[in-house]
Amino acid sequence: MSRFFATGTDSESESSSEEEQVQRQPAAAFTFSDDEEETKRVVRSTKEKRYEELTNLIKQIRNHKKIKDMSSMLSSFEDLTRAYQKALPVIAKEESGVTPRFYVRILAELDDFINEVWEDKDGRKNMNKNNSKSLGSMRQKLRKYIKDFEKELTTFREAPDGDDEDEAEEEDVDSDDSDAKPVKKTVPKLEQEKAAKKPTAGDDGDESDDSMDWGSDSDTSSSEDEEDIYTNIRDRFLKKPEKEEEETKREKKERRDRVKKREEEDDGGVWETVRGGVAIPSEKPKMFAKDAEIDVNLVVRKLSEIMAARGKKRTDRREQIELLHELQNISELHNLGPAINFKIRLAIIAAIFDYTPKVSDAMKPEYWTKLLDRIPDAMDVLLANPDMQVAEEILEEHEQFDQEPYQIRGCVLTVVERLDEEFVKLLKECDPHSNEYVQRLKDEIKVTQIIDKVQTYIEHQNKPAEICRIYLRKIEHLYYKLDGTVLEKREGRMPADTVTSVDVMERLCKYVYAKDNTDRLRTRAILCHIYHHALHDNWFEARDLVLMSHLQETIQHSDPSTQILYNRTMAHLGLCAFRHANIKDSHSCLVDLMMTGKVKELLAQGLLPQRQHERSKEQEKIEKQRQMPFHMHINQELLECVYLVSAMLIEIPYMAAHEFDARRRMISKTFYQQLRSSERQSLLGPPESMREHVVAASKAMRNGNWNACFTFIINDKMNAKVWDLFSQADKVRTMLKRLIQEESLRTYLFTYSNVYDSISMEKLSQMFELDKPVVHSVISKMIINEELMASLDDPTQSVVMHRSEPSRLQSIALQLVDKVNNLVDSNERIFEMKQGNFFVRGGGGGGQGNFRERQNYNRQGQDWGRQRRDRENRDRENRAY
Amino acid sequence: MSSKVSGIRGGRSRVVPDDCPINVVQISGLPMMKMIKHCHEEGSGSVDVAQGALLGLVVEKRLEITNCFPFPKQDDSVDEDEAYQIAMMKKLRRVNVDHLHVGWYQSADVGNFISLPLLESQYHYQNSIEESVVLIYDTQKTARGFLSLKAYRLTPQAVVMYKEEGFTPDALRNLKVGYESLFIEVPVVMKNSSLSNILLNQLSDMVPEEDGLGFLDLGTSSVLEGHMRCMMERVDELNQEAIKFNRYQQQVLRQQQDKYRYMQKRAQENAARQAKDEPPLPDEDINKLFRPLPTPQRLNPMIVAGQVNAYSSHVAQFCSQAMAKLFVTQTLQKAKEDTGSAKSLQ
Repeated sequence: MSRFFATGTDSESESSSEEEQVQRQPAAAFTFSDDEEETKRVVRSTKEKRYEELTNLIKQIRNHKKIKDMSSMLSSFEDLTRAYQKALPVIAKEESGVTPRFYVRILAELDDFINEVWEDKDGRKNMNKNNSKSLGSMRQKLRKYIKDFEKELTTFREAPDGDDEDEAEEEDVDSDDSDAKPVKKTVPKLEQEKAAKKPTAGDDGDESDDSMDWGSDSDTSSSEDEEDIYTNIRDRFLKKPEKEEEETKREKKERRDRVKKREEEDDGGVWETVRGGVAIPSEKPKMFAKDAEIDVNLVVRKLSEIMAARGKKRTDRREQIELLHELQNISELHNLGPAINFKIRLAIIAAIFDYTPKVSDAMKPEYWTKLLDRIPDAMDVLLANPDMQVAEEILEEHEQFDQEPYQIRGCVLTVVERLDEEFVKLLKECDPHSNEYVQRLKDEIKVTQIIDKVQTYIEHQNKPAEICRIYLRKIEHLYYKLDGTVLEKREGRMPADTVTSVDVMERLCKYVYAKDNTDRLRTRAILCHIYHHALHDNWFEARDLVLMSHLQETIQHSDPSTQILYNRTMAHLGLCAFRHANIKDSHSCLVDLMMTGKVKELLAQGLLPQRQHERSKEQEKIEKQRQMPFHMHINQELLECVYLVSAMLIEIPYMAAHEFDARRRMISKTFYQQLRSSERQSLLGPPESMREHVVAASKAMRNGNWNACFTFIINDKMNAKVWDLFSQADKVRTMLKRLIQEESLRTYLFTYSNVYDSISMEKLSQMFELDKPVVHSVISKMIINEELMASLDDPTQSVVMHRSEPSRLQSIALQLVDKVNNLVDSNERIFEMKQGNFFVRGGGGGGQGNFRERQNYNRQGQDWGRQRRDRENRDRENRAY
Repeated sequence: MSSKVSGIRGGRSRVVPDDCPINVVQISGLPMMKMIKHCHEEGSGSVDVAQGALLGLVVEKRLEITNCFPFPKQDDSVDEDEAYQIAMMKKLRRVNVDHLHVGWYQSADVGNFISLPLLESQYHYQNSIEESVVLIYDTQKTARGFLSLKAYRLTPQAVVMYKEEGFTPDALRNLKVGYESLFIEVPVVMKNSSLSNILLNQLSDMVPEEDGLGFLDLGTSSVLEGHMRCMMERVDELNQEAIKFNRYQQQVLRQQQDKYRYMQKRAQENAARQAKDEPPLPDEDINKLFRPLPTPQRLNPMIVAGQVNAYSSHVAQFCSQAMAKLFVTQTLQKAKEDTGSAKSLQ
């Protein structure tokens, strides 16, 4: 029995393919000596590959048939016809144009099945829409398609279980003769093809349109055959001395085929070649002939030979690295000059990079350390020879290895960039709380050193675009780190001419601003610059940069990683503003981040579980790639706490001032939610989490109890959780204390001014432990802004309330009047309508007077309302001012 | 000895019409206390209302309420509810209590008792037990020291309106039902046994005199604020309804204009056809072309209006009381000051 037929099960065919692979694996190594086996396989694989494809599809169709999945079946069937079309030349070649039985069988089966399903009316009704649609189109397609195979089908149906020994036989034969006489085979094959063409063309008169198809098929098949001939002819040349290049080319082709096949097998994952013993030196093939004169050209040729195998599935990547090392040793032994040395080193680095097959996975630590050794070495070579030029623009033909100035094709910049990316990936791979992470993080010094080296080289080359890129790399390593010397310098403990990271950033960024012509680099540089300023408490510089760059208007058009950087920058800007007691700015910086509730995602510090729809694998992969490594994270609790505290400092006095205002707006929704949810709780325990602390503090502040508020915000728990995370925690705490006192005073005045005729400022300053001038200034500000209707009485040092503000009851009454006015308005309109009808009907004039009167009244009411509104508007303007 | 309950004093007691089966509700101390207890325990939270059944007798147009029992909290199963009531009445009968179901009571805050469910259940009560009343007990007001207990019945118009279930503006106009004529208030009289009266008299002697001054507590603003807030809500609601109705009116008007235009066009065409000796166009059902718009139900605005009315009357009543209290306190204060100054002079 042929294996295509009887083996309906998955396992066998798969095992067969695997077998084949195992069989082939040894050929993957650089066996430059024996070629015979390989040639055999090329021919065999075309047939096998096609057949396997077909059988796989057939299997799929059978499976679909079992579960009656029409739509999948339709697509599988389409694939099958396509695959068959592809396989036609092979079939023509191998089986003299006779349609293989297994193919006929599946067609017959399908036909029966479809008819059966079509007949089953009830079943069809119960089918879902998609399936029944597919069934219809499937039936039509199958009918049309089957016409071509009518003869075969009838014969098949006559003897459905006929065996197919002939096929198996044929297979044997073909595998035999393919390795026996590769040259001869071309001629009979052509004949066969012709023979295959004849009967089909002359088959039936009414199949003229189909014969067209056949014709075109034969075209493609012939072209493919030509290729086959070519390979065969080439096989003939294989024994000739100049085989090497041909050999690699052929290999390349074959490998491409393999790749294709793998993909068709739907094998997603990449195969790791696990073979221990191959790399043993004794087995290693010889680099050069023993007595060969080793010179630059030879080495270069060898190198390109090795590199040609790069990036292919079957290449043993580890061996490639070793080969390159060997080559390097040889070249050093023969002293072929720095250029060739560097070239080989570059190749080694590239090979190490290639070792990890997946882009999303991090490389193995041992290779990483190797990389960290290799790159500095290579850079040293480069820096030691200042007249060496390494660039991407240099074509391979123009490379110069033997004399100065050396010209080498390659790009150190991309090497460094790749290195940096790998570094980030490695970090993300580690558990951030383990020692491993710390160990890995220590490598950053090396990475930055390499970047510095490349920087000196590129600066030497003087190409602005590349300088910008390397500068940005450097900036991105620098921007999130706090430099202690900056603060010391500011306090005068360090001499004024010490170079701090701020200065370095300034220099690098300014260069990028001036020279960069891709917008992205500049944007990133600005963001990093702002971040760095904000980190070092240079609030005004940071703010000015943000305002000048106008980034906030365009940032939504940029790529995600830049947007993440923007979010990070805004977060730090908010923190910086908070440290500088610019509460409003801090709040407005953070509000966009905090409002969504997706801070984690916005800062790329972790994936949020999604409720509505699962993200697909690729999406998750992409999102994971965007994540920040742990040491660059911004503490979220700190962010949230700063946001909530600043919201509290703004919102609570505002709430107190506008208690009765129906048009009051919320300043911060998130804060409101927190407050509301705590109010809804029937039992309130002592605060536990940071949020509860802030909410409790807000409640205390509402009553003007600054001390309670302060102790809720700043205590041991909160210090440990939040405030100690600031670099100058004590400064922040004193600032917070002062702000809380001031805002509590304001809140107190708003809330309780209606029960006072006058308050002594001395008393207030005692109550809030504020200096009298501060109290004075706060109250004066409130009076000026018309928030507090009062005046200051200087001799008695007291605030005299004017009591012009309506009391609570009065303001509610005013609101009620507004509402009643509205009601009267709408009632009036209803009445108008009635009256209109009345006029039409009766035409009496009596009602008119009344009506006008009422209108007048109405207008008065409205005027009154307008006055009130005007006053409020004015208030608001003043406040804004 | 009988005493009138405070609620009636300042209220808008209307004359009870002759055709009403009862004209006064007489309640004894026991059901009253039971009811108050239940309402305060269950219905003081603003969300739930406490409800219960009243038991008693009708004697010559006087409804005597002699006992009551609370309903369990609503759990949406009508059958269970009924079974509970019947069982309860049977058991009370065994202990020689009047077992005739004569109405029900409900706790309320100020004016919010006027609602659709109340209307509905009172309608069903009056349908099955003709003389039944609903007693509304105001927890909030009583908590401030004013016992407030009112008995209501649906007016005959309201019963008719509810029976026909057409709450269109026209139907309401024809029935002459307004928010003020949905319910009719029946005066409530409290009657205790002589024994308990004696006890009360004795107790009142034991109460120290100064505690009586507690009645002078003003507490104006908080109460008024609460009322105002509620009133604002209702007014808003009413406004929404008015706007809805207004929109409806406009639609009707537009439709009518369209209809008129269409008719005129039709008439012109027919005239032209007649001139040419052609048969006139067939008459199509004009209602098919212009479907009558669904008229908005007016029951809800009526109820809301009733609530607003209740609130405003409460506010008015409260204010007049407060005013009186103010005068009283003023004179008291003056008297105190006078005596104080007299003392200091000495």
